[in-house]
Amino acid sequence: MGEVIVITSGKGGVGKTTTVANVGTGLALRNKKVVLMDADIGLRNLDLVMGLENRVVFDLVDVVEGRCKLRNALVKDKRFEGLFLLPAAQTRDKTALKPEQMIKLCEELRKEYDYTLIDCPAGIEQGFHNAVVGADRAIVVTTPEVSAVRDADRVIGLLEAKELRNPRLLINRIRVEMVKRGEMMSIEDVKDILAVDLIGIVPDDEKIVVSTNRGEPIISDQKSLAGQAYRNIAQRIDGEDVPFLNLEDDEGFVFKLKKLLGIKTT
Amino acid sequence: MEDNNNIVFKATNNGLILIMNESDDFEKIYGQVEKRLNAAGRFFKGSSLAVRYRGKKFTEDEEEKLRRLMEEKTEAEIKSFEEDKGYDVKIPDKNFEIEENDEPGQYFSSFYFRDIEEGITRFYKGTVRSGQLISFNGNVVILGDVNPGAEIQAAGNIIVLGYLRGIVHAGMDGNKEAVVVALNLQPVQLRIANIITRPPDGTENKGAIVPEIAYIKDDQVYIERLLPQR
Repeated sequence: MGEVIVITSGKGGVGKTTTVANVGTGLALRNKKVVLMDADIGLRNLDLVMGLENRVVFDLVDVVEGRCKLRNALVKDKRFEGLFLLPAAQTRDKTALKPEQMIKLCEELRKEYDYTLIDCPAGIEQGFHNAVVGADRAIVVTTPEVSAVRDADRVIGLLEAKELRNPRLLINRIRVEMVKRGEMMSIEDVKDILAVDLIGIVPDDEKIVVSTNRGEPIISDQKSLAGQAYRNIAQRIDGEDVPFLNLEDDEGFVFKLKKLLGIKTT
Repeated sequence: MEDNNNIVFKATNNGLILIMNESDDFEKIYGQVEKRLNAAGRFFKGSSLAVRYRGKKFTEDEEEKLRRLMEEKTEAEIKSFEEDKGYDVKIPDKNFEIEENDEPGQYFSSFYFRDIEEGITRFYKGTVRSGQLISFNGNVVILGDVNPGAEIQAAGNIIVLGYLRGIVHAGMDGNKEAVVVALNLQPVQLRIANIITRPPDGTENKGAIVPEIAYIKDDQVYIERLLPQR
């Protein structure tokens, strides 16, 4: 039985889609069968970030409305074996999907694929409910900004109300030199407020913009620090015996980040 | 569709042609013809009509029933009522392939829009933006750009007087004669009838901006300059 994981945040623009693309690719690189589902109906982006836009023929709404079979709608990735994209419909809106349909779809995906990552739309309305309803667990993405943290807090509350306990936290776009200067919230600050377990920290990286625009996940860039961070997250999601991210390791990781960034910036 | 009535009445030089949907049963067609005639039947009063029908086969019994219905409602003389044999119904290949996918769920009726030489056309003025879908059972002319993420579907031809960067589907119900023309043809995906193509990976915008035409020959999509080079 596979697992369905929703990537959500509440606030827009914090990196949900980028996370789904990279972590999904990371899992596929670990020889898992992975489906990336874009639940952002009407504002689909995941196909662009994956560089698969021109291969989309059918979409999620076509599947749930019975116009095609699930496997016809799945777009095979052009680079990585075992990686598939289930695109959202672009010419429809969030009301095109009902929670029951989503639950059914997730059940079907769970049977055949090791991991299904759902790219949740921003907001906490219908689209959020649809994206979350079929998931087994959740990853909440936030950036070290008060607004993003506030929205993440709200979303964690909603997830708990929906019986999705113990969501994991991904802090994105951290800039260590700013934290050092006290200009940015630190990982500890964010953790203090949200009080959920971390699954990873991703440093801010200009290369992300380039990779997103080109439709090539940064995870395949061995030199990129952000890519390394995503690989670690994929490992943590996948690893049965990879130790739970404890504080020591976490500090070690950040220390490494600091060192690397320090070298880079000076 | 906002109108559930699938019957199309078409006037010709020597009479009337009824075009119907093959998948509808006789009962439904009968009801729809009746409804149409109730609305417009008087128009034919006193005339004499040769009626032919397309898209569906009827038994003699059913033919007779429809003929009587027409006579009654139009108050016209129905000279004949028969299947339109001069019209060859091409059944498009249903087993079309989409790359890496089999068993597509799309369905093409055995009867499709043929008026691409001259026929009903929708004109749309303005930019068609991401998420917008223009679907029309005829030809479509866009007086503006079609942006990525937008989709144009037409039973006939698609003409874009601007940049075409979205998804287009001409000959949507199976007509392989349909063409796509744009002042700058850079679609994310281009479909004609049951053929789907996309630009090869890694190709960026071509240099010169020239109007181009896309058409099908031997089940292959060809893209050419619309006008010869001067």
